[in-house]
Amino acid sequence: MLRAQQNELLTQTGPGTPMGQLFRSYWLPALLAEELPENECPPVRVKLLSERLLAFRDTDGRYGLIDEFCAHRGVSLWFGRNEQSGLRCPYHGWKYDVTGQCIEVPSEPVESGFCRKIRLKSYPLVLRGGVLWTYMGPPDKQPPLPEWEFALVPSEQSFMSKRWQDCNWLQALEGGIDSSHVSFLHRSDLNSDPLFKGAKGNQYNLSDAQPYFEVVESPGGLYIGARRNAENGNYYWRITQWVMPSFTMIPPRGDHPVHGHFWIPADDENCWTWSFDYRPNRALTDKELQAMRDGQGIHAKCIPGTFYPIANKDNDYLMDRAAQKAGKTYSGVEGFAMQDASLQESMGPIVDRTKENLVSTDNGIIMARHRLMRAAKALAEKDLVPPGVDPAHQRVRSASVILPPDQPFKDAAREHLKVRPDAVHASV
Amino acid sequence: MIGGCARATTAAEAKFRIDAPNSQPRNVKVIALDARSERVAKHLAARQWSRAAFFTASAFTTPRDAQKFSIDGWLKDLAGRTKNLVDEIATADLVVMIAAAGENAPAAAIIGEACGVKHVMTTVLVLGSDNTSDEALAKSLAQLRPYAMMLVIANGDEYIEDMLTALRA
Repeated sequence: MLRAQQNELLTQTGPGTPMGQLFRSYWLPALLAEELPENECPPVRVKLLSERLLAFRDTDGRYGLIDEFCAHRGVSLWFGRNEQSGLRCPYHGWKYDVTGQCIEVPSEPVESGFCRKIRLKSYPLVLRGGVLWTYMGPPDKQPPLPEWEFALVPSEQSFMSKRWQDCNWLQALEGGIDSSHVSFLHRSDLNSDPLFKGAKGNQYNLSDAQPYFEVVESPGGLYIGARRNAENGNYYWRITQWVMPSFTMIPPRGDHPVHGHFWIPADDENCWTWSFDYRPNRALTDKELQAMRDGQGIHAKCIPGTFYPIANKDNDYLMDRAAQKAGKTYSGVEGFAMQDASLQESMGPIVDRTKENLVSTDNGIIMARHRLMRAAKALAEKDLVPPGVDPAHQRVRSASVILPPDQPFKDAAREHLKVRPDAVHASV
Repeated sequence: MIGGCARATTAAEAKFRIDAPNSQPRNVKVIALDARSERVAKHLAARQWSRAAFFTASAFTTPRDAQKFSIDGWLKDLAGRTKNLVDEIATADLVVMIAAAGENAPAAAIIGEACGVKHVMTTVLVLGSDNTSDEALAKSLAQLRPYAMMLVIANGDEYIEDMLTALRA
């Protein structure tokens, strides 16, 4: 349970809010590189942290993320002409460069220099690992570029998708660190999804629906360990990484690629769910890539030309009660991604956490909220850089391992929980 | 045709969620296992709680003579009154044990066993710090893990208050 005031603090990320300030401390994924595929391609509307923005790639290949609306009469620059190193408003011809600087106002004498007085708000937009990242905080506090492993491996080793989600970012994130739901909601898919099936760890999962949990603070966020009994008195551990504010890496299964998410607020009632898969040591296979493009694993099949899932709230997520009854799917919704999203969206745009009844196994969620609130307060009151900004906090891995019973997982699996170039993930 | 889920998940519809209690108060017994934890428990006990009760087992030591061991007499409330462990656990929905990393916490076994017999959920909070050594933590985990269905290692004491609030203690 949270008090109403705490719920507001954690869920509101617009300009000037404490959690908005926190998010504005990080490099955030804004667009897939393929959304701006070539110079002078059409601009793309982007909504992040309750700000309406427009991304474009100019004649010289420079990326820009600027206020969506022309400073003149408020026209959306989505209608603009991307030409000759700038984006021109089609209404009266005002033109802007990738920094938001107005470079032409045709109605005014050039000599007047009027255009230099016009500048739209803009943010840096940087390509790394197939993703265009932005930083929306104070320029003098811009951190080093992100160093998530999936974004640094060669492009053939990594795959990224994104989808729109109709709910606040926090309830989506909390689904990502709630390890105990897997044994229920996703149980039918563990042994059938091509990006999950066949792992020995699945059997430990399915044979024990009541794992023991351990939550440990990490430099950037949390390690969330779920342990189940394995052979010879040992434990099977699944160790999820949460790095602030909204990155999670799911423990791997067998020889499958490793995956995880970012949940980035679009506004307070919607978020972008980013989903990545990668291999640290070799290329993804064609079969794996096809499965990801087909919306399997943690990805979702979207309506062509959009990032809106085909199974969505307008069609009741293609609910199949017969499949639910037959055990083909546990909830009646197909696929990991929409199984999660359907339930998270069902809570409403912003779930009322004053009504919830958390239990002990929700300590991962409780601790994540605690750390987020603590960091937001420290940033607002003491200007302390929050955990997760330091690239060292980003060089992490999830792991699934068998360990002796008397060892702290974070120590026993220490080497497995950090990036080791070219070494495979620890996976069962 | 808009699906039922689309209509049901709007902010406007959220306003119609029934505004009535959906749970009864939980009895949460918080037991400090050592002196540092006892100080934390005393600090917490001064706050307003629904049904949380605070105890200390810091005086517990492993009896040299098992024949002389008694289940009574070592669990106390924070005013120093002796309490009966079995009675307290019988009326608990959740038992939270607090232990400082590296401290000896022999009472955890007795409390954990009793919770197991009574089918009461146990949570163990290990109070660490940035200076806690791996050895100290490992020692605590070896002692506590068998009795913790949920184990949290927190770097700051203030987490416990947030946790108890979140659990409606």
